[in-house]
Amino acid sequence: MDDRPRNGKLSDRTKAALIQWSLVLVFSGLAVLFIVNPWRQSHLLYPIPLVDKSFLDPAPNRRSYADFVRTKDEDALSDFDCYACHENGKPPTLRYDAQQHLIIPREHSDIVMGHGEQGRNNNCFNCHDENNLTLLQTRDGRFLKFQDSPQLCGSCHGPTYEDWEAGVHGRMSGYWDHSLGPYTRLPCVNCHNPHSPRFQGRKPAPGPHLLHEPASAPVVAATH
Amino acid sequence: MPLPDASLHPDETPAAAGMSRRSFLRTSAVLTTGLAALASSLRPLLELDDYTTVQRFMQKYYKEMTPADMAKVLKRIEDEVQKQYGIRPHVRDLKPMDGVQFVYCLNLTRCIGCRKCVHACVAENNQSRNPEIQYIRVLRMPHGSLDLDKADHDYAPPTVPEKGYFYMPVQCQQCKNPPCVKVCPVHATWQETDGITVIDYDWCIGCRYCEAACPYWARRFNFTKPEIPKDRLNPEMAYLGNRPRRQGVMEKCHFCIQRSRAGRMPACHDVCPAGARKFGNVLDPNSEVSYILRNKRVFIQLKEELGTSPRFFYYFDV
Repeated sequence: MDDRPRNGKLSDRTKAALIQWSLVLVFSGLAVLFIVNPWRQSHLLYPIPLVDKSFLDPAPNRRSYADFVRTKDEDALSDFDCYACHENGKPPTLRYDAQQHLIIPREHSDIVMGHGEQGRNNNCFNCHDENNLTLLQTRDGRFLKFQDSPQLCGSCHGPTYEDWEAGVHGRMSGYWDHSLGPYTRLPCVNCHNPHSPRFQGRKPAPGPHLLHEPASAPVVAATH
Repeated sequence: MPLPDASLHPDETPAAAGMSRRSFLRTSAVLTTGLAALASSLRPLLELDDYTTVQRFMQKYYKEMTPADMAKVLKRIEDEVQKQYGIRPHVRDLKPMDGVQFVYCLNLTRCIGCRKCVHACVAENNQSRNPEIQYIRVLRMPHGSLDLDKADHDYAPPTVPEKGYFYMPVQCQQCKNPPCVKVCPVHATWQETDGITVIDYDWCIGCRYCEAACPYWARRFNFTKPEIPKDRLNPEMAYLGNRPRRQGVMEKCHFCIQRSRAGRMPACHDVCPAGARKFGNVLDPNSEVSYILRNKRVFIQLKEELGTSPRFFYYFDV
């Protein structure tokens, strides 16, 4: 065939062919581009670690004597078997150092005394009954079982006890509509350690993360 | 009709429309690649399913749906969640209870700023983990004033509470006079009779007017497709509550509608280690919240000068 035009110009037929083939090229290029999609921004986000599940746990801070009884925790309950070591009918003697701090015997070394301002509530028998160590005694002369300890706390902390009874101090859980399900009011000792009741500090859960990775620390300029 | 000059183009057989075999191939190549380019340019339509489905598009307005319509919708949502997460959820449409108005009370004396409420809320309500969406922001402020300008929500000390600071968690205040509801152009958010302001995620158009109107910065927008790990999905869901949202819709705290309307306390309430949060029915004179409003120093509704009348009360002990 002879598409070469005699006067040095492309013939219409060749022009059409060229245009068509370039269109094919453009179209296939476009198709590839659309499929590969290099504009897609899929890595805008940086990884955020999932929060530790301990922060999601609604369990109370401490376990109370009632919890030990309910779960039949023999190991923990053995700590409440006072007369396994103490002699029946003989009140234990308390010893104090020169600063009037209670000397805690080795057998009770897990106890940290810190009740009251400057640890002034430092007599075991302010709360425990010296004649029957399995009981607690209030200042107004009532004897209580360990399960009833909130009444003991209430004998000194009246307003707080009132709030607790109304369900306003402390942790309640379960159903706000008591007709639909159970509602539990935790006793004082589920949050407060009776020997050192101040609420302990704790590690906070992580704060909010930014949408984009925070810029790394600015480079310190060299000092010359 | 004169035949084409065969001597000029000996390799091309004459075609009916004057088209040679070669030019026919060329034309079809142009057409095929053109169509391919067109088709691939429409590829994003394949992902339209994430945005809307015919069923969702044809869905009626929440308040106009009959129970039969709602049952169909709930089944569709369960199917969608199962397809995406491989877990069959239990989606309910819980209605407000008669004689109930919810109120939240938060004791600023007790809050220790541990942020457990923030994360319990995320876990309960299936918020996106990346980017993070959180309904509760815990503000740390120095003792002695309540100046939101001095508030910091990025605090990260080794332990809380810190000396000289108090903490104030802020979430949707469930206003009695909610500005967010007034600005919604499509009525996708409204206040229910129990006081909870809800959002229909299928009706929301994502204009974010409500986010701009909220003085408490309580509304969150899904800028990207929410990401929830399968093992952290909470399958107990409600239509107006914690069912998974999609990209382009607003969300916010709804007092854990899936729990509160079933009689339970919200997740943030149950997880609080300090017992700082109290929730209940204010119309019941024996409820804890009624006791607090009667007996405690309930000193603020946050930004009460705006007249939004929140159902969220901050108070102090003593």
